[in-house]
Amino acid sequence: MIEIILLISAVLFIFALKLFGRPSTAHRANSFAILAMGLAVFSAFNFDFSKYDSAFYITIVFSGLLGVLISKRVQMTQMPELVGLFNGFGGGASGAIAYVELSNTSLPISDVFVAIFSMVIGIFTFSGSLIAVLKLRGKLNNFSTKLGNIFSVFLPTILIIPAVLEMDTFLYEFIILVALIAGVIRVAVIGGADMPVVIAFLNSLSGIAAMSAGFIVNSIILIVAGALVGASGIILTLLMCAAMNRTLLDVLKGGFGTTTINNEYEKDPISTSPEDVAIQLSYAESVVIVPGYGMAVAQAQSAVKELTNTLKDKNIEVKFAIHPVAGRMPGHMNVLLAEVDIDYEDMFTLEDINSEFSSTDVVLVLGANDVVNPLARTDKDSPIYGMPILDVDLAKQVIVVKRSMSPGYAGIANPLFINENAKMLFADAKEGLENIIKSFELV
Amino acid sequence: MEATFLLTLLITFLASFIGYELISKIPQTLHTPLMSGSNAISGITLIAAILIYPEVGDSQILQIIVLIAIAFATLNIVGGFSVTGRILEMFKKND
Repeated sequence: MIEIILLISAVLFIFALKLFGRPSTAHRANSFAILAMGLAVFSAFNFDFSKYDSAFYITIVFSGLLGVLISKRVQMTQMPELVGLFNGFGGGASGAIAYVELSNTSLPISDVFVAIFSMVIGIFTFSGSLIAVLKLRGKLNNFSTKLGNIFSVFLPTILIIPAVLEMDTFLYEFIILVALIAGVIRVAVIGGADMPVVIAFLNSLSGIAAMSAGFIVNSIILIVAGALVGASGIILTLLMCAAMNRTLLDVLKGGFGTTTINNEYEKDPISTSPEDVAIQLSYAESVVIVPGYGMAVAQAQSAVKELTNTLKDKNIEVKFAIHPVAGRMPGHMNVLLAEVDIDYEDMFTLEDINSEFSSTDVVLVLGANDVVNPLARTDKDSPIYGMPILDVDLAKQVIVVKRSMSPGYAGIANPLFINENAKMLFADAKEGLENIIKSFELV
Repeated sequence: MEATFLLTLLITFLASFIGYELISKIPQTLHTPLMSGSNAISGITLIAAILIYPEVGDSQILQIIVLIAIAFATLNIVGGFSVTGRILEMFKKND
């Protein structure tokens, strides 16, 4: 009986993952996954609910309610933090379980190794995710890469200590401490714009930790679900890395953009006003909006929607060009735009829209920088050379809404800003858009 | 014993392969809900906690640690699915 329930659960998990792949079926995917999870958890009790005391049930009910409460209260712009936080909890749970299993002295030696693996990955995911959350909230400045490098050398060294001292008590506690520190340091040295990679990677790790926990307690469903999550997380991680033309190792090494390169501009950019932008937009036939992290920070989604409506009312074609690593998690911009009811048919990926820029009248860049930097195509010495970018510089007119000329994450100047066809509207994304919309009423 | 272990490894490999294949064609629009949903699924480690809870014996410390694991995993599952539902709701209303 239990076997059949577990089989159904595993099949449902696979179907859920399949359904996640298409916009039209994605909302059903969640229900499938919830059902699969319900069956899997139910089967773990093996119809013997009396084995568990009240502390157990109270913990489950209380933390379940807390989970619902947190998830309902959080704003969409804080979604990356929330995903990171829950992910950390999952990793921490796997780590804690592995630790408890290790305290069981009758554990076969092969299981001991699996348990240590699960514990290290789980604890690393836990502390790494919490640091990622703090970074996403802007509460942590980058540690210098140097510190990270010191620790990379330091960590394996202190790992030898217990072996040398033939330490047998507190060995696992020691490993936990090291994994905790490793998670903190590894994520702390990685900058904000690399967060899509980090979040996807940590997500994958929590799946791998769960999978290895499945090996210790002999639960096939745990292994299957953990492996599914681990593999899908790896895909996202690699997609994000490819979108930056960097390897995972390179991203994890951290310190990107901290080297100072020549940031000077040869000439001053052309500054423009909301009124001029409104006029230019109203004469356009096609407009492409390029959202970046600046849009999320300024919470400008609603203003974007309003501008889109205004333009569409004037029969102007509006499209959105979304770079795969725009924002702080995979698909971040898509979610923010969906929040304000922008049709996903209007959101285009880099491959789909790049050929259209040359025939676009006006491109509006909203708080994006490195992902539209033409140096990625031309300057072999640039740290972003080879990264696929949105070719907005090919459009007839580019308007960049940005607070200042400060460089983006890569720490380099963006020649787009001083291009002949580019104008800067110096403003916060939200304020800038609202002023443009206001000016429309006067046009 | 040997055969079971190999079988388990095979299952692990197949599950990873299926996960990889299913996700490799996913459109960018769905990256966030997918990540959030698979994140919730990783809370399935709750099963391991349920399985070992009755077996921890008299050690109160271990019992508390398992309870913490249960709390974390439950938060991960319930919160994760709830957030994913919220995100997908926004895509749904576009249809």
